[in-house]
Amino acid sequence: MTGKHPNAIRLTRRAALGAAAAAVLAPRARAAGPEDGGGLGTAEKPISIRVMTNDAFSKIWQTTLVPEFNKKFPNIQVTVDGVAYSEQLTKSLLDLSGAKPVYDVVITDDPWTPQLAQTNALLDLKKDAAAWTDPGFDWADFNPAPLAASEWKGVQYGVPVRSNMLLMFYNRTHYRKAGLPEPTPKLTWAEFMAQAPKLVQDLKGEGKPNAWAIDTYFGRDQLTPTIWQAILNANGGKLLDANNKAAFNTKDGVATLQTFVDLLKYAPPGAKNHLFNDSLQSFRQGQVAAMFMWGSVYRGTAIDPATTTLKPDEVGAQVMPVGSALPGTHRGIWSGVVSRKSPTPRAAWAFLQWMSSKEGEAASSSLTGGFPARRSTLAGTPPAPWLAPVFATLQMAYDVAEKGQMWRPRLVKSDSVQQVLADEVARATSGEIDAAAALANAANRIDKLRL
Amino acid sequence: MTIGMKRPTRARLADTAGRWGFLTPAFLILAAVLAYPILYTIEISFSEIDIATFMPGEFVGWDNYETVLTDERFWYALRVTLIYLVFALPLQLLLGFVIAWLVNAEWRGRGVVRALFIIPMVVAPVVAGGIWKMMLDPLWGLTTYLLGLVGLPALDWFGDPVLAMGAIVLIDTWRWTPFVVLIATAGLLSLPRDVFEAAEIDGANWWTTLWRITIPLLVPVIAATFVVRWLGAVKMFDIALAATAGGPGRATNVINLFIYQEAFRGMKFAESAAMCVVVLVITTLLTGLFLRGSRVLEARFQ
Amino acid sequence: MRGSRLGHRLRVGGGVFVCALFLFPVFWMVLTSFKAPRDAFTRPPKLFFTPTLESYTAYLTFADVPGRMLNTVIVAAGAGLVSIVAGAMAGYALSRIRLRGAATIGAVILLSRGVPPIALAVPMFIVARQLDLLDRHITLILAYCTFLIPYVMWLMRGFFAALPRELEEAAAIDGCSRFGTFLRIIVPISLPGLIATFIFSVILAWEELLFALVLTSREAVTVPVAVAGIAADMTSGVNWSALCAVGTITVIPVVIFSLAVQKWLIQGLSDGATKA
Repeated sequence: MTGKHPNAIRLTRRAALGAAAAAVLAPRARAAGPEDGGGLGTAEKPISIRVMTNDAFSKIWQTTLVPEFNKKFPNIQVTVDGVAYSEQLTKSLLDLSGAKPVYDVVITDDPWTPQLAQTNALLDLKKDAAAWTDPGFDWADFNPAPLAASEWKGVQYGVPVRSNMLLMFYNRTHYRKAGLPEPTPKLTWAEFMAQAPKLVQDLKGEGKPNAWAIDTYFGRDQLTPTIWQAILNANGGKLLDANNKAAFNTKDGVATLQTFVDLLKYAPPGAKNHLFNDSLQSFRQGQVAAMFMWGSVYRGTAIDPATTTLKPDEVGAQVMPVGSALPGTHRGIWSGVVSRKSPTPRAAWAFLQWMSSKEGEAASSSLTGGFPARRSTLAGTPPAPWLAPVFATLQMAYDVAEKGQMWRPRLVKSDSVQQVLADEVARATSGEIDAAAALANAANRIDKLRL
Repeated sequence: MTIGMKRPTRARLADTAGRWGFLTPAFLILAAVLAYPILYTIEISFSEIDIATFMPGEFVGWDNYETVLTDERFWYALRVTLIYLVFALPLQLLLGFVIAWLVNAEWRGRGVVRALFIIPMVVAPVVAGGIWKMMLDPLWGLTTYLLGLVGLPALDWFGDPVLAMGAIVLIDTWRWTPFVVLIATAGLLSLPRDVFEAAEIDGANWWTTLWRITIPLLVPVIAATFVVRWLGAVKMFDIALAATAGGPGRATNVINLFIYQEAFRGMKFAESAAMCVVVLVITTLLTGLFLRGSRVLEARFQ
Repeated sequence: MRGSRLGHRLRVGGGVFVCALFLFPVFWMVLTSFKAPRDAFTRPPKLFFTPTLESYTAYLTFADVPGRMLNTVIVAAGAGLVSIVAGAMAGYALSRIRLRGAATIGAVILLSRGVPPIALAVPMFIVARQLDLLDRHITLILAYCTFLIPYVMWLMRGFFAALPRELEEAAAIDGCSRFGTFLRIIVPISLPGLIATFIFSVILAWEELLFALVLTSREAVTVPVAVAGIAADMTSGVNWSALCAVGTITVIPVVIFSLAVQKWLIQGLSDGATKA
């Protein structure tokens, strides 16, 4: 590498700083005995760990979950840093691969485990960290789908700390006014598409439609293809075959993309470019009857009067419609992994164990809007009454996702695949090319990635 | 500087050093900060990148360049950028100088007007893109509402490829015309007053004054503003990202947004590096052309 | 240029009108910042609503905006100062001093601006990591100088080139050194250009996002990064009221700053006029 020059400067810098730096670094270095994983800290010598996570929830973790954690582990100081989603994978890789990583814990999105594992910088939690695992930590209690997000080639690198699934939200008022039965987990795509024209309706007596059937991600975004993929998976289709070649470019595959594009006929004006925020707003303003969206928005959509115009009993959430095989959904799990180079892996792992314990999951779902991954949490009494129907739907979504392998490709080049899909699906929704051409392009480009 | 008279060589050396002294700080800072990143980019562009370490892996020769140059999407993004530039740049330059002339009219409030004018530049791009999206939206947008009041249908600003490009040019013009206004105002303020007084005494009308005196005097400033705005506009991607994310389809996917997405979303850092080098070459050629053009103009007018 | 009274009034009115037009989106931003999130996307848009300060009180302390604002001020002022000094000197060298090869160096400096910023972010991170300079103000200041110096240099070259040559000739006869001439004659007379360019540099550093995202993580995080964070809230939906509140707050210091330096801009004019 070309790094000679920076190294030289670093040496002189070191010399200049001299013993002062060494003195500052020493306590931390001493506390980091490899055998005990740096311990869990004492009142005199607390341990501090740093966590890199997405800035969508870093602040709320720092202010609400860390204090909860500290009730049990008062001698571990946790600093949570937020990173913007678009740069998060890059920054995680850059940090983990450095000689002296800043972060002890990295929170990673669903498709990223293979990329991060590839750096050889992650702790094998079931082996390397086994000695530091609380005997009461019940691995078997996790739903398989969320736990699998942080597994790669047989090694468990992480635990689910913030789970999310793609759901179908619906507005009961719209369904009632259209004279339609409200969606159930048995609603099929054929039924939904037949109902859709009736859900484009005039709710305000303006003499023209002011309510539409559906809104979701239609614009140019890496998450747009997940909606189509949910339709593909529900019909038994797959993105990639066993040899990691594109498997979606079939007649059935094209039909599912066509279904997705056809949704636009029943979507509000401007929906072609709608993404997360736009579709959420049109649903919260009562302008659409249904929305395919991440479950985590439930609180802000149905419960919190500051952010939504809808009433709690007006909003329902189900798994997405059933195709020829099973209902649809898509997995979105944030998992926590521990850096192998951390001087205090034991404390880091203690934080993640707590986060993914029953106790942590309860705190997370009642305080931060994150969802649990444990069967027992989902089956138990929810921390807030409004969570009860959501928990039931989530449990169903996990089972469906597991059965239909409804997640983004688990590969080192996962993001490259997702970017290709984002490109081509957006061209199809915009009408620039038809569904068949889009999938042919996407298949061609994905196979060129040599996965 | 009288000591130097005795030792002419030393004086000349000191003089040369004094001359070069003006360029040294800028050159040193840029060399120190940019040398490694540029070399790294060039090296990566000829290698496979090891994503686990972000260091160049195996040398692959021109492979990345071949991939990029045969990628129809790359050329498409360049074309989109060209369309955007052709509309946005002249519009911003023209508007900027006209507005600068308007707000330079002498009255008490003009300082405030000038200060307020810079606001569009200061609003964070994410917010700026979002506000415009909010105002133009065919569902809840203010413009849609106003159009509806006079019985006009909503415009699907971000769903129609042509309108979406129009929206990008509009937002970018809103954002960066104030820059031109700012520089043009300073340019107008630095003009020597006696020339205009002389022209007034000669009885020249404002049109003649404009064409014979103001514009010729302003040519270096106009040219510099153009070059700076051009170099800024080539790199535009934040507004497109915030307002359209490159869509609909890929109608507003300008080159820097394309490279950004390929690098940070697609994790194709090696190909992106090759694209960066190609873009650098193209920008260099065009900038060279503009510089030559501005020299010719300066020479003609002075 | 003095035209008729009516012409003058039309011109003033035109200026105010155009300014109002340009400020309308800003007005909309300020308005939205006082809305509760549920009122931000109503159809039709609401001009009258129950205003709330929630976005300012709750969210701002929550996202640590004051600390990030301070970082932004430090970085923008630092980058602005370094680049105006280095850039103006370089611009002067290019426009007024005959130097063999200077034109080439000037062109190279300018063209360094043609490198897409995406190309620089990752290698800069790697260097900063090697030097233990990640998440520091100085790193961002230097990174911003890479794009500010070429701009300042080129803009100032334009302003200097528009000055009459007799200025330096007179100064040389008076026995002024080259640097003395620059400092005592050229800088004062070019004050409008310098101030405008300085404002521009500060603004560019103020709103820069990409380098700030990559090179900072906690201590040196700037406001645009905080804004991007709020915009990326995938949990409960993007809080546009909060975004607009942060947007509004970020705008205020720059407006005050540019109002303050405006005085010098005018002063520069009168100084220049008397000296020229």
